[in-house]
Amino acid sequence: MATTCTINISSDAAPGFGGISESMTLTQAGTIVDIDSTTGFQRRKLSSTGAVDLITMASENIEPKDSVASKVYIRNIGDGKGNIDKTVGVTIGVNAEPIGKLYGGDWMMMPLTCIDADDVTATPATDDTVVIEFVMFYEEA
Amino acid sequence: MATTTAAVTLTSDLLSDAMSVTASTTCMKAGTTADGLDQLEYAVVEIATGDEYDLICTTPTASKASKLYVKNHSIDETYYVAVTQNAQAIGRLYGGDWMFIPADFHDAAADIAMTSNGGTNKIEYALFHEGTVLTTT
Repeated sequence: MATTCTINISSDAAPGFGGISESMTLTQAGTIVDIDSTTGFQRRKLSSTGAVDLITMASENIEPKDSVASKVYIRNIGDGKGNIDKTVGVTIGVNAEPIGKLYGGDWMMMPLTCIDADDVTATPATDDTVVIEFVMFYEEA
Repeated sequence: MATTTAAVTLTSDLLSDAMSVTASTTCMKAGTTADGLDQLEYAVVEIATGDEYDLICTTPTASKASKLYVKNHSIDETYYVAVTQNAQAIGRLYGGDWMFIPADFHDAAADIAMTSNGGTNKIEYALFHEGTVLTTT
């Protein structure tokens, strides 16, 4: 029951930069045991500038352990109809702290605490329709 | 223009039907479609257990389209770094874990900090950005 994630980064911003290619297997905290739970792959369509919870940690649908090895993958896939606008950004936050803005097509992979207050939020910069895909992997409490 | 691309492949067999996600993005400057991120800070640091450090040496220009890659190269799976931004706990990177996030450094306090646990953690990071506030001598 393995979950793996591979990243490949290439850039000509620096002539000597050889790129990054790394893979990780998502495991439970402090062990080599595979992570065992997921929210499943989800998508959320947003059409206004208000902040919404992508993942509400206190939701009764999931009960993740706190402060272990949880991870979340999030991507801005544009309007959901194949149109990706690099000028339309959605700010992803944790517990009201803005982490950064995903422009059209951008993706992120980051660890999470899964503490009840540390909801994952999405705040579009404009009223343009934007669709966010996400999936969280966690350890069941 | 400089071209920086970041691709990801995510697979999981936790569900009955195996999941496989692939995505690739060209990292552009904030709100543009024609100008890519053209500056890079790339380093490897070792952080002794119990120590907390800001990862980024110079503060990138706030609210831009910076992208930050971090990997914990520790080979002991019990070692980890706790990641915080602006004192908000984000999560933990155990040995072998990596993360890739947009980082807009929206104010002077919004640094990415790492606290080492378990032992000395070897951290690789790459920040792709569009300008920093350089420190004058």
